[in-house]
Amino acid sequence: MPESGAPPGDPIAFAVIKNAMDAIVDEVAWTVIRTARSEIVKDVMDYSAAICDARGEMVAQAKTIAQHLGAIPEAMEAVKARWNGRLAPGDAVIMNDPYSGGMHLPDIFMFFPVFAGAEILAWTVVICHHTDMGGRVPGSNAADSTEIYQEGLRIPPLKLFHAGRMDETLEAMIGLNVRVPDRVLGDLRAQYAACQVGAREIAKLVERHGADGLRAHLAALLDYAERMARAEISTWPRGTYRFVDHIDSDGLSDAPVPLCVAITVREGGSLLVDWAGTSPQVRAAINSTLSFTKSNAFLSVRCALRGDIPNNAGVFRCIEVTAPEGSVLNPVSPAPVAARALTGYRVMDAMFGALAQVVPGLMPAAGEGGNTVVCLGGRHPDNRPFIVVDMISGCWGGRPDQDGIEAITNPSQNLSNTPVEVLERQHPVRIEEYALVPDSGGPGRFRGGMGLSRSYRLLASEAVLQLRADRVRFAPWGLDGGGEGGRSGNWLGEGEARRALPGKVTMTMRRGELLLHHQAGGGGHGDPLARDPHAVARDVWNGKVGAQAARDAYGVVVAGPGARLDEEATARLRAEMAVNRP
Amino acid sequence: MVNKNRGSGDGLVAGTGTGTARIGVDVGGTFTDVVLATPDGRLFVNKTTTTPRDPGEGVAAGIAAVLAEAGLAPAAVAEIVHGTTVGSNTILQKAGARTGLLATRGFRDVLEIGRIRTPGMFDMAWSKPEPLVPRRWRLEARERVAADGSVVAPLDEAGVREAAAFFLAEGVESVAVAFINSYANDAHERRAAAILREAAPALLVTASCEVMAEIQEYERTSTAVVNAYILPAMRGYLSRLAERLAAIGVGAPVQVMASNGGMVGLAAARERPVFAVGSGPAGGVAGAARLGPAIATPDLIVFDMGGTTAKAAIVEGGQPSLVTEYEFRDGISTPSRFTKGAGYMLKVPAIDIAEVGSGGGSLARIDAGGLLVVGPQSAGGDPGPACYGRGTELPTVTDANMVLGYLNPEALAGGSLRVDAALSRRAVEAHVARPLGLGVEEAAHGIRQIANVNMARAIRAVTVERGKDPRDLALMAFGGGGPLHAVDVARLLGMRRVLVSPVSGVFSAAGMLAAEAAHEFVRPMLVPLAAAGPAAVAAGFAAMEAEGRAALAGEGYDRAATRLRFAADLRYLGQSSQLTVPVPDSGFERDDMAMRFERVYRDTFGYVAEGEPVELVNLRLSAIGVARSRIDFARLALDPRALAGAHGERRVSFARGAAPVLARLVPRAALADGPVQGPAIVESYDTTIVVPPGCVARAAAAGCVEIEMGDDDA
Repeated sequence: MPESGAPPGDPIAFAVIKNAMDAIVDEVAWTVIRTARSEIVKDVMDYSAAICDARGEMVAQAKTIAQHLGAIPEAMEAVKARWNGRLAPGDAVIMNDPYSGGMHLPDIFMFFPVFAGAEILAWTVVICHHTDMGGRVPGSNAADSTEIYQEGLRIPPLKLFHAGRMDETLEAMIGLNVRVPDRVLGDLRAQYAACQVGAREIAKLVERHGADGLRAHLAALLDYAERMARAEISTWPRGTYRFVDHIDSDGLSDAPVPLCVAITVREGGSLLVDWAGTSPQVRAAINSTLSFTKSNAFLSVRCALRGDIPNNAGVFRCIEVTAPEGSVLNPVSPAPVAARALTGYRVMDAMFGALAQVVPGLMPAAGEGGNTVVCLGGRHPDNRPFIVVDMISGCWGGRPDQDGIEAITNPSQNLSNTPVEVLERQHPVRIEEYALVPDSGGPGRFRGGMGLSRSYRLLASEAVLQLRADRVRFAPWGLDGGGEGGRSGNWLGEGEARRALPGKVTMTMRRGELLLHHQAGGGGHGDPLARDPHAVARDVWNGKVGAQAARDAYGVVVAGPGARLDEEATARLRAEMAVNRP
Repeated sequence: MVNKNRGSGDGLVAGTGTGTARIGVDVGGTFTDVVLATPDGRLFVNKTTTTPRDPGEGVAAGIAAVLAEAGLAPAAVAEIVHGTTVGSNTILQKAGARTGLLATRGFRDVLEIGRIRTPGMFDMAWSKPEPLVPRRWRLEARERVAADGSVVAPLDEAGVREAAAFFLAEGVESVAVAFINSYANDAHERRAAAILREAAPALLVTASCEVMAEIQEYERTSTAVVNAYILPAMRGYLSRLAERLAAIGVGAPVQVMASNGGMVGLAAARERPVFAVGSGPAGGVAGAARLGPAIATPDLIVFDMGGTTAKAAIVEGGQPSLVTEYEFRDGISTPSRFTKGAGYMLKVPAIDIAEVGSGGGSLARIDAGGLLVVGPQSAGGDPGPACYGRGTELPTVTDANMVLGYLNPEALAGGSLRVDAALSRRAVEAHVARPLGLGVEEAAHGIRQIANVNMARAIRAVTVERGKDPRDLALMAFGGGGPLHAVDVARLLGMRRVLVSPVSGVFSAAGMLAAEAAHEFVRPMLVPLAAAGPAAVAAGFAAMEAEGRAALAGEGYDRAATRLRFAADLRYLGQSSQLTVPVPDSGFERDDMAMRFERVYRDTFGYVAEGEPVELVNLRLSAIGVARSRIDFARLALDPRALAGAHGERRVSFARGAAPVLARLVPRAALADGPVQGPAIVESYDTTIVVPPGCVARAAAAGCVEIEMGDDDA
């Protein structure tokens, strides 16, 4: 009898199959990059890949967009409900409808059944963000739509491939409804090619281990992850932990959008994540479907677990998520959802806030709260159109044992930035600053990461600016006595003529005008007066914290051009500040 | 500094100085390997302990030893080719210069911002690598050049002088200058560098355009900064090495292996050491590229398994497959190609190497969920595997091999390293077999199998993920562990042909003697291919050619020994990554290049976007100097002592569940008398080759061993 909690069956075949599944799913993901047509997939890498067992539980996921994958269970239910028993080898089902388990219309899921004999043994799943799905704006991603019918083509679970051949009707229908049919259909073919690679490699495992053997191992992999997750969650203190975070507004009104979470740690190592009290669904397109809400909730819990738990649906089994119907986290059709990414970020922030009460030794204070999206559309001097879509990422909040990270992707994604030189080469825009914002990191024993600034000077005669920022009103929060991070902000103009813009804005920019954005900084962790004064002095030396802020927020006195720490004066000031504390 | 002691008046070219012997030196984490080749094809090898504090000490000791072994005087050495880890270790240990950066106003943080990706998911405890220049020493100059190269704001020269004074006052030793859009117009950057050099002669100055003038500010800045950061360490090391060599009477010029598998002279290595950061692993691939044609197998998968990691690369048509940028980082956490952001980006040409944390020293353990995990943590060479008896508790891959009978149970490395097989057995039993409820042999097979699966994944990364089928290629194994695992790894990939290199245990050092001198140049173009003016293209190539010829001439290569490989980086307009397409001998012709691009694109990505416009991103030149005395593996005469080993028998467990069988024990030299039928273990000074039942090992050309593979389950 094995001594440890080793999985039943052959432990070596089990370990080999686990490694093989990780390798296969990465290869599926790599095939998407190799064969996709669009930049959003090839360069930005906004897509993801997974392998599911026969029931549709995700067994392995590629290192791609984590936010996509928790949505698979809902989507899979819709696929099975329609197609159960009516799929054959070489078939593939696609869907994008947010109200059938999807997320927003540009994200098309493809489900590809892998057969062993007459039975489905597994599924390969590839989700791609497509360049366009039709609707009222290019990219099908507008934040200011008011119903889903404006957002583009809705696809319920339908067979795009029959035994390897693309369905003529569906192909023609999609082709006619999107702005760039070559790209969209090309990327759909890439998804299919990638699914086939997964199926081919799984077939090799079947050869080696037999269908029953593989089935048993896949089940064991899920059980293994569930067992590890449950074991860890059952060490968490029982109770209900609440947190409320806000989105500044939906952009169509000024009303804040509260997200209220209550996480209950239950007996047996499971969690209930309840969103009762959350804002009703809103007019603008930041509503998040339940599947996307769940996805972000799963992802947040995963961040609170140890690293060696496999990333599969065994972890999801321990987490139940509920959100009131008709809320911004479980909207009712035809609520618009295209720009739901922002809401997903805030779901994570709220989850982290609650989880920080459960596992305080692990969770960071709030980070920037999601990408700022800057869109500039206009014409070159020779009348060719241009569209700049630029995402400004941020930082992580201070952590229980180290500072937050500056200049880093939101943990729910893994996107990159666009090089300034590439942007300037392609578009009539000059970036005049891309920098860390001093004093934007929330003070704390462990400082929050600094926000980023980026400025854009328009070189064309005029352009339409669409800017989506948040955290202008509700700053990233600190933890355990740490202070708030710097707020985000938008400004137009220079010097005396500079004026602040709202967080979410659509307006016309003119030639020569300069737009400046500050992304929010991360919250601090722990009492700033407990921060190692040498670390504060180092931050001053490095131009990350000003001498004044060192004094005011940290009680640290730093003097001279060499930013030398004055230990005596610091001790005096800190003592004084400790006494005068409210 | 240019070598003055070579190329006398009689028209000799590089590598022929006064002596005739050439020496390759590979400094590894544990051992410094030295290989000496004589013009008549004799090869002498030596392994000596690496001296981490000053690696030159071990290098000199190894060279002295190999000279003694060969019975040669120091003056007989014509050239030393050196793979050095000084560059990479300086970065890993954060032991570089106090480095400054001068950037365009508004952009001093480009270096720290980077590309904002994380290497893993869900890991909230991750730390981003510290920038090599702290924010305080990142200064800004008032200046601006537009994307088309026009000047938006002139350079504030007084500001640059103030920066020089600040750097000096702060004790900064080395400075990188990297301005926005300097790839399009480098006048400001060059001027600023000149001012710094003039105002502060003590500062070492690296201008980004002098390293690699490519578009993308972060990558170019990072490359220049790494160069500045390691400059003093590399210069100091090379100077000390020259002194140490002089002290043992060796005055031969030193060539340094570059990341692209070529070598550069001291002058280049002292100016642009960033080209040599990936120096270490390049030698073996360069050697395999030379070895392939000698055995009529110009297409190969190179498989190099050492103590800590295993590396895979491919060689096609006798050329290593290259990338134009790579991320240098500490440790290997995952073989996934989706892992970025964990290191320092270098935009310099490098061999496309996939590395996984599976080596002989990789530790096996059972994780909290009961899963058997092998690597990436490694016991390395010190303390080394459990069988070394130096305190390692957990079993390593080497211990698994020991338990199964693959390795000599008493001593390794030709008898020089005593081992205790009982310690291996105890480690495997206590930490893997018992917790999993398995037999000791079963557990050892498990450890091996997991390491093999990981290594197969590295090979997939350079083949399948690049649109190539490994089954079309032969596996060339070397390194301490390569020949021990080659057959099993090949089987996992469906490959049919396995080769073991000559002097497998020190092949990286031997491979360095196969390297050509290589200097890389790039000219950004960024115009639609259809609009690329032939005159502008010709001018770009001509300018690089002049630089390339000058660099090679400085190292003693005349026109006859010079090869120029021109290429163009092309992509579909609007894409952000490009493919490097060689320019044919017939010259650069637009329609022809478009066709060639589409062919490479289809091979890599499986389709072409017919009719979509193509962009010419860069022109490239590799200026190659071919040493007449390059090692010729086809004319190799190996030191018989290196092929010696014991005759005999040993009980070996080849397959899980099957009873151990009696395997023949054969010295490598005995292969000359005829093929050896598996089950057998072929031993020599530095290598153990496993020949499973059903396989046949035979001597192949150029000192290689070919293993003919039988059926999987034989």
